[in-house]
Amino acid sequence: MLIAQFLVNGFITGLAYALIALGFGLVYNTTRIFNFAHGAVYTLSAYVFYTFYVVMGWHILLAAIVALGVSALTGVLIDEFVFRPLIKRGGSLLIALLSSLGLYIVMVNVIAVAFGNENKTLSIGVQPTYMLGAVIVTRIQLIIVAVFALIFSSFLVALRKTNIGKVLRAMRDDPDLLASMGVNQWSVRRLVFALGSTLSSVAAILLALDVGIDPNVGMTAMLNGAVAVIIGGIGIFEGAAIGAVTLGLLQSLVIWQTSARWADAIIFLTLIFFLLFRPQGIIGQRRRIEEVGL
Amino acid sequence: MENVSKSFGGVCAVDNMSLGFEEGKVFCLVGPNGAGKTTLFNLITGFLHPDRGHIYYHDRNITALAPWRAARLGVGRLFQDIRVFKRLTALDNVLTAFKNQPGENALISLINPWRVAREERRMVERARDLLSLVGLEGNEESLAEDLSYGQQKLLSIARLLAADADVLLLDEPTAGVTPVRIKAVLDLIRKLADAGKTVAVIEHNMSVVYEIADWVYFIDGGQVTSFGIPNDVLGDPNIRATYMGL
Amino acid sequence: MSYFLHILIVIGIYLILTQSLNLLVGYTGLLSLCHGAFYGIGAYASTLLMMKAGLGFLPSLLLAMLATALLSLTISIPSLRLRGDYFVLASLGFQTITFAILYNWIGLTEGPYGISNIPRPTVFGIQVNTLVSFTVLSSIAACGCSLLLHTISASPFGRVLKAIREDELATMSLGKNVIRFKVTAFAISAAFTAVAGSLFAGYMRFVDPTSFMLSESVFILSIIIIGGAGNFPGPLLGTLLMIILPEALRFLAIPDSVAANIRQIIYGALIVLIMRYRPSGLFGEYRFK
Repeated sequence: MLIAQFLVNGFITGLAYALIALGFGLVYNTTRIFNFAHGAVYTLSAYVFYTFYVVMGWHILLAAIVALGVSALTGVLIDEFVFRPLIKRGGSLLIALLSSLGLYIVMVNVIAVAFGNENKTLSIGVQPTYMLGAVIVTRIQLIIVAVFALIFSSFLVALRKTNIGKVLRAMRDDPDLLASMGVNQWSVRRLVFALGSTLSSVAAILLALDVGIDPNVGMTAMLNGAVAVIIGGIGIFEGAAIGAVTLGLLQSLVIWQTSARWADAIIFLTLIFFLLFRPQGIIGQRRRIEEVGL
Repeated sequence: MENVSKSFGGVCAVDNMSLGFEEGKVFCLVGPNGAGKTTLFNLITGFLHPDRGHIYYHDRNITALAPWRAARLGVGRLFQDIRVFKRLTALDNVLTAFKNQPGENALISLINPWRVAREERRMVERARDLLSLVGLEGNEESLAEDLSYGQQKLLSIARLLAADADVLLLDEPTAGVTPVRIKAVLDLIRKLADAGKTVAVIEHNMSVVYEIADWVYFIDGGQVTSFGIPNDVLGDPNIRATYMGL
Repeated sequence: MSYFLHILIVIGIYLILTQSLNLLVGYTGLLSLCHGAFYGIGAYASTLLMMKAGLGFLPSLLLAMLATALLSLTISIPSLRLRGDYFVLASLGFQTITFAILYNWIGLTEGPYGISNIPRPTVFGIQVNTLVSFTVLSSIAACGCSLLLHTISASPFGRVLKAIREDELATMSLGKNVIRFKVTAFAISAAFTAVAGSLFAGYMRFVDPTSFMLSESVFILSIIIIGGAGNFPGPLLGTLLMIILPEALRFLAIPDSVAANIRQIIYGALIVLIMRYRPSGLFGEYRFK
């Protein structure tokens, strides 16, 4: 196949990753919590969507809305009942990370017990496809592009122009500022978790339609998101998207040259490469570890 | 042995500052909060790197050194927020500080445990001496987190002494220490200076400054606004106005 | 009786795994999710050295230890200069890449088919081919590794690791090269894992990549979290608990298809509860704060 086909595939997959990365990065940049449960919420929303769309036969958009709602709610509840009690007791980020890992294990395995460990597909039959020059794209891929464009542009506008954006940036740079801005830190957290979960579950639904679901999709998705955030540059919300697209493209190029077996490995090889040579990410700025610790 | 002199620039906390310390003398750094004093210590110890300027130690340019290297050269630091090793005993806290321990090489500790044990015994004795020097005898086996604030401060001083540094940067050594102990700490500082160490102290307690300082730097807004003997600097009405006007 | 010996062997292998991870997580405060990968590398390395290069059990084991220690440098050096989260992610990456290599490099590892007919170990001329003799071997190995790891932990080296765990910056200010200590601790931890891997290969006589996945890394970590870290009893008692517990569960009639999932749910729930109510684990000293 033409390299162009692979590049397009990679780019579009990258866009899907970007949604996940934006969601993960939103929570990570503002709360500094490395949230494994993010992957569980991703898996949950995929399965909720599956239940309403395939099992109960609801209209696709309705099922999507339910799934998005469930994931937003779950994200908030996780923060409310797992992370916040820990933080209020003076817990560190490490303890939050470990709890989120435990939570991920529980949630994903409950889903596995309920639905089975095997892969399920959502779309029956072959996808409608379109030709763009010499490249073939499926309908789902086009939807991914459209959805991403819509969401990302709103995201950028909201971040730069609105009050919410200001608040989020303040939370990232100096949470103590929030109080002086007259903003309730806990409400913003709820927003952050809700929004972060929702962004990723959009990707979950789209990718579920594209390639199907199994209980482990969440971990891969979350890790891709986390790597994308780091590669893009920690602390820069938009950076996650750049990182994700880069990953998507790289992954696709590797698959073109070798085979799909190495898809997962390339994500992490890229991470190691960046850690060695450019830890601040594509658009980040260098800060010494000692400075960060002070 | 020479002056340690430094000049930095740029970092907005420290604005084109040049100053130096001398062995055998106690230098006090005073000034309002946020004036850049702690940042200064961070720069000297390598935890921060200046945007502009250089730092010298005995003619050697240590500007870009990693903190552990600066420490190995002999730059010691007492932190304002203490930073003792909480879940280690007081004894262990001090033991960590000794330099050149053969047992710190994992291979040696496996191959020659007898040598390591010998060194340990020696170090434990010295550590106990240091602990009683600061008044913590009897607390050796207590976990650092179980000690009071003042005791932890004393522990951090004992730890610093164990590190055998030539240059001692003390960030508020008397804050939180009971008045009885303060006298002991000040005596210690004096003794250290007399022994040839270079001592720089950040202090907010004026009586302490008068008591031990040979020289005073007044630092405000990232710059040195005054330098001299305590009476001159602290007696200057302008300085008093700035400082008291907080 | 043979069931009992089997359990002893498994406990022995896991004691080595958890105690080596304890050096890293409990003493140095570094969270690693790639222990399963090192376990696998140790198993495959010693297997390949024995079967393809014709080396004996002990030489293969020692070389496998060296290999894992060297491989650990590929992630420790890039990531330990940076913040803690990077290391976790890098370790996850190592785990993923290792699995991909074990699974896909069929020429070397037979991929998903695994390597079978691994020879029984021959130690100092004695062939270890009965259950009893293997139990003796694994127990000796477990005791030996425990002793070595304990000596290292109780030494000044271990003391610096604990100091790093408590306050990295203060440790730096005392002149310790923190990065070198962390890299060394990681390498030591990896090397001992290879011992467990060699034992596993010699016992099961079959290795395949699915024994060394992320779930395995998480399981070993769970033992440390639940049992407790930073001291000697924590991992020991934790291992006993976590190995014996699932065996006890066998007597409840849980359908096979979900047995693994149910076990994981219990581990996950325990982790969340422990973090919330008893961060030092059941028997540990180091409280994840």
